[in-house]
This record gives sequence, structure tokens and C-alpha cells, in this order.
Amino acid sequence: MEVPYSYLKEQFASPDAILADVKKLVQSGDFTIGKALEEFEKRFASYLGAKYAIGVGTGTDALRFSLMAAGIKPGDEVITAVNTFYSTAAAIATVGAKPVFVDIDDSLLMNPDLIEKAITKKTKAIIPVHLHGLLSEMKNISSIAKKHGLVIIEDSCQSLGATIEGKKAGTFGLTGCFSLHPLKPLNVWGDAGVVVTDSDTVKERILLLRNNGLKNRDECEEYAYNCRMDTLQAVVGNHLIPDLDKVLEAKIANAKFYDKELAKIKQIKVPARDKSARYVFHNYVVMAEKRDALIAHLQKNGVSAKIHYPIPLHLQKASKYLGHKAGDFPVAEAQAKKIISLPVHQYITKEQREFVVKMIKEFYK
Amino acid sequence: MSKSKEDKMQESKKEAKPEMKVPYTNFKQQYESIGKEILSAITPILANGDFVMGDAVKRFEEKFASYSQCKYVVGVANGTDALFLSMKALGIGNGDEVITPPNSFLATAAAIIATGATPVFADAREDYNIDPELIEKAITKKTKAILPVHLTGRPADMDKIMEIAKKHKLFVIEDAAQAVGAEYKGKKVGSFGDACGFSLHPLKNLNIAGDGGLITTNSDELFKKLTLLHNHGLKNRDECECWGFNSRLDSIHAAIAEVKLKYLDSWTGKIRKIAKTYAKELKGVKGISYVPVDKPYEKAVYHTFIIQCDKRDELQQYLLKKGIGTKIHYPIPIHLQKSAASLGYKEGDFPMTEKQAKRILSLPIYPELTAEQISLVIKEIKGFYK
Repeated sequence: MEVPYSYLKEQFASPDAILADVKKLVQSGDFTIGKALEEFEKRFASYLGAKYAIGVGTGTDALRFSLMAAGIKPGDEVITAVNTFYSTAAAIATVGAKPVFVDIDDSLLMNPDLIEKAITKKTKAIIPVHLHGLLSEMKNISSIAKKHGLVIIEDSCQSLGATIEGKKAGTFGLTGCFSLHPLKPLNVWGDAGVVVTDSDTVKERILLLRNNGLKNRDECEEYAYNCRMDTLQAVVGNHLIPDLDKVLEAKIANAKFYDKELAKIKQIKVPARDKSARYVFHNYVVMAEKRDALIAHLQKNGVSAKIHYPIPLHLQKASKYLGHKAGDFPVAEAQAKKIISLPVHQYITKEQREFVVKMIKEFYK
Repeated sequence: MSKSKEDKMQESKKEAKPEMKVPYTNFKQQYESIGKEILSAITPILANGDFVMGDAVKRFEEKFASYSQCKYVVGVANGTDALFLSMKALGIGNGDEVITPPNSFLATAAAIIATGATPVFADAREDYNIDPELIEKAITKKTKAILPVHLTGRPADMDKIMEIAKKHKLFVIEDAAQAVGAEYKGKKVGSFGDACGFSLHPLKNLNIAGDGGLITTNSDELFKKLTLLHNHGLKNRDECECWGFNSRLDSIHAAIAEVKLKYLDSWTGKIRKIAKTYAKELKGVKGISYVPVDKPYEKAVYHTFIIQCDKRDELQQYLLKKGIGTKIHYPIPIHLQKSAASLGYKEGDFPMTEKQAKRILSLPIYPELTAEQISLVIKEIKGFYK
């Protein structure tokens, strides 16, 4: 049985309804910061319960602009999780600040108990990363940030729709940053990103940053960037938002099944789950013994599995100047050798997920 | 920013008015003529989910390399990023100076600022391109590069610029955002400097249905750096060589551009013919002091056709009443924008650019213009000055 990791081959198999709206857009020529984008931004903000949503070029840019809007400058330090995707650290580094990594715990997310040790006089912000559709411990992180006067920028790129006690990922911090990349919970036909915020000043600043600093066609308020979410991608997004929760629920159901079944296998460790949270399982990640052999076994039997991510950020060449070494973040390093991501997307059938579990059981027998 | 949106909507309303006989832009017609072809180019991308750095991007990059007579092409998110990433890859940053004209679109200066460097302006000539004589005067110990803009689709004076760059050991980054296909002494723009940025924005001669850009270069080393910088610094899926950016040309946009590239030369031919007609008919009209024409060694692609004229604002209003859309590129020079305040320029610093800002008017020019529309534009302009 084939169990593919990606949903992309099925998702747009019948694109006619979207294409009809794309055609209308093309005829109107309303390509740049057009009406469909404004509509999308409103719907996105309302889905999250945020005041504003601003469409930008990518999730990376959502982070960069948030840092700039928060006044992060060269010489500042920004704390983030060591096991995130490259762009979290890259966003910090490319605005001139220093990424300061914090180790994770058995939830796969930043360990709040380690944050305070990483705070220095130069620390200005914390970027908790809601990796894999999970949600960081925002209560603890928020109170640490408050105590030390730090800004929180949430990297929610993988966690659109995740909640804790009903409050959505991306609405705890000064901003929440989202990616709409094809491999994200709400995915468009290319690169796009969104910043959400309740702050009027942050919104105004990001509107300038994304569109050449232009106050209007002819007046430039500040030198800025060209980094707009394509209106065409907003047309796609507008089609997908109404079904978002349905898609998420399908993934959650698959994840619940895995959680229950895999807990029975002693060589597999299911991450700690907060019962008050709704995780949306962008990736379904567990720790497995003999991980690489397991992946090979699954592959051989048609089940596609992945690793997110095999090398923690402090051990990447890009981090060399920060002076880290192996052993600095023991939990992330140990996990990097054990984590495996199983297919969890909305098109996985009962038979497929049962087959995945069966293959894992077979491997450890 | 709501202001800008209002402006924008008003503008588009103006253009969409049914009584517009010659709108300034016409997106609809181009897509109607090749819509089916574009649809069939996009469909396989949707079916395969090959949206990011897909085959369509590779294919288009190869075709554009051959079209622009360059070894490498890197698809990026937009024209601004194309300039920004080129300079980053060349190591331009804090403390450096980059010489560029003050009459370009804002993004040229913004790209320099974004690297941490300082834009140093050198005034334009009558033909809107940077004056090589003034470049040399602007060079200091901190100067690292010249960023000539092939403004309006006319190639800058590349022989002189390359000579100055060689003499002073400066990099040259061409801004060809408006000039795809333009030639200087038989050589395509984008093939002169260390790198060149192109834009595929909907208002450009080679355009897509959103934002996109291209970098051309002949340097192996620069190409390698650019492929890292524009995609998170990734050497492969799991190894990150340097902190980078996320600036990629979407596959669906590459597919659209690939279809349009086939037609580009024929569209450019039509545009050049319109430019010739405008120039022939408007030259010598009392009230018009400058009409763009090619020098013998230039092949301009007329992204805009900009005349210089008396009573510019009145003429623009008059033409609007007659159903003809025009624009001003650009009414406020870069050095006089609020964003430039910290650079310390003042009115009078760039007399040519400042004079032109008050007199320039861009006439409608695109391949779909009919002979009747062209005649109408000419007739109404002549009528205004009679």
C-alpha cells in the first residue's frame, strides 16, 4: 500500500472553481495589493480572532517585518528554539540581531524553564516556534516576557488553527507570523505569508515595509521592501479558508489514532501533549528507536516518512560564528537522532493509517 | 496606508471607466490572446503540486539565460530583491556607497539601503539615464558599485559606465527592471555588469500575474552565492550554509513568463513601432521639448514613452477628459522623498531630474494599441497645444 507524505497531488486535482476566480482576477488586472487580498486579510484575521492580518511575501518575511516593527536592531539578541526551521534564525540574523538558541523538552518545543538563563541585557524579544502544528507553552513564556520587558513574536508558520484554551496560535504575541507555502496548513500556489497583530502601529509599519515604504503611489515614507502577498495567491487562499477546519480535523483524527496506537509500542515515544491544547499536526512527529532503519523499512513498504529536521540549527554551518558545539543543546541533539514524521494529511484513509501502524509494529517485532 | 489603497482604487476606477478610449494599461487583452496557452502551462503544476522551485522555474531560467545572452539566471520574488540579493552576494553592505540615478523607481535606492550601504545619486541626462560624466564625480573611497538603471526601457551608456567601473575597480549591477530585451551596441542589457536585476511585475514588458524577478550573471561564484541566498542559505534540504532569505519565483509565474517570452520580441517590435510613430508625429510640436528616440546604437524597448512638455498637469487633465490615460514616472525624485531625509540632499542638487519631474508625461504604449488609438493620442496632444 502506498502512503504518500504529501497531500499536494490530490489537493488541486480539480482546480476549476479556483481557476474561474483566477481568470476573473486576470481580466481585472488587479494583481498587486488587490481586492481579493484585502478580502483574504479580513477573513484570515477573523479566523484567528486578531484585529489585523497583513499579507506579505513569505513566512520568513513575516518574521523579518515583525522584528523590524518591534524595533529589533543590530546588536540586539532574540531568543528562539534550537530545533526550528532555518528561517526563524535567518530572520533574526538578517535584521542584524543575534539568534540565541534555547533547548527543547519532550513536547518537541522550547523549554520555558531554560529561557531565563538565556536572557542578557541585550535580549529584546522571544520567538516561540509552534513547530509541527503544536503550540508552545504560551502562559509561561508570556509571563517571562512580561517580567523582563521582552517582545513576543510567534512563529506560527506551521500552526495555523492550533489553540490553547480556545485562544489561537499567533494571537498571544505582538505579532503572529504565518506561512502559506504549499507545505503549510493553509497552502497557496507558491510563496506567501501573513502577519497578524492587534497593534495599529505595527500594522501601519508593516504595510509600509511590504510595499516600498509607499504612503501612496508617489510618496515614500521610508526605504523599505517589496514583499507583498500576490493577489492571485489570495484568490486561492479565499477558496481554502472555509474548509480549513475540516482539513485540520482530519489531521487531528489521524494523529489521535497514531497517538493511541503508537503508545503501545515501547520503542516509540509519543511527545508530551497538553490536554487543554488543540494541536493541528502539520507534521506528526514521534521519537523512534533505530529511526533510520525504521524509515527505510517504511519506505520499502510504500510508506513515506520524513525527518523535521535532522540537524539542529546550532550545528549548521550558518551558525558557526555563534560558537556553539555539539553537546550545547542535549535534548534537541538527542531528539534529532530519533524524530520521525509520519504521513498525517487529510487524505490519509483509515486503512492507510492502520497500515502505517502495522508496518511500525512489524519493524519492531 | 488606507490612503494608498484609496488612491489605487480611484486610479483603477479611472482606468476602468467605459468611456476610456485609450487606457494607460490593458492587461485583459494580452491574457485573452494567450489565456488558453497559459492555462495549459499552469495545469500540470497544480496537478503535481510542483509550486516552489519546480521544473517550470528551471525551464524558464534556462530560456531566459539564452534570451538575455547570460550564463546564469536566478528567479527571485521581485525586481527589488533581484537588486538587493545581487548586492548582498557581491558583499556590498554597511559603510559602502553605491552610485545610482535619482530619477528611478524608489526600489533601486531601497535595495541599496536594505544592504546597509548608502545610495549616492548622480543626475540623469536628457534621455533619463544616468550621466556617466557625473558618475565619476560621485566616486569616493567608499564607493563599491555603480547601479545604472535602464530607465524607460532605454539602455544606459554602458561603454562609458563599464570603463569607469574598470578604472575605479567598481562592481556594476544593472537595473533592467524596465528594460527586458533592450540592446546597446547589439548586446542585450543584463549582460554588461557583474549582475543585473529584472522585474516581472504585471506592469512590465515581460509580465506575470503577480510579483516576480530575475537576476542574470555570468559569474560562477556569484551564481552559487545567489542560489544559496535566495533560498534560506540551503545547500540541500537539511544543510544550511549561511543565513539567507526566502525570495523565489513561484513556479506558476515562471510558467506564465515562459509562455510570454515566446511573444516578447514580437510585442517589443510593436511597441517600438508605436514609439516611432509617436516620436515622428510629436517632435517639433510647440510645447513639447523632448520626445524619446533611439540613438543609432540603441534598441530601447519603451517600457514607458515619456515626453517632456509645457503645462504638463493641464495636458494630463485634458487628455483624461478626452479618454486618454497617462501617468507620471515619477513626480517626486528619490532624493526629495521623505525616506531620503537622512541622506542630506536638498532641492537643487539634481537639476536635470528635478526639471524633468515637473515636465514628464508617460503616454500609453503597449502592443495591443490600435492605429486609431495611437492617432487619437497624437491628435489630442496636438489639439491641446494648438
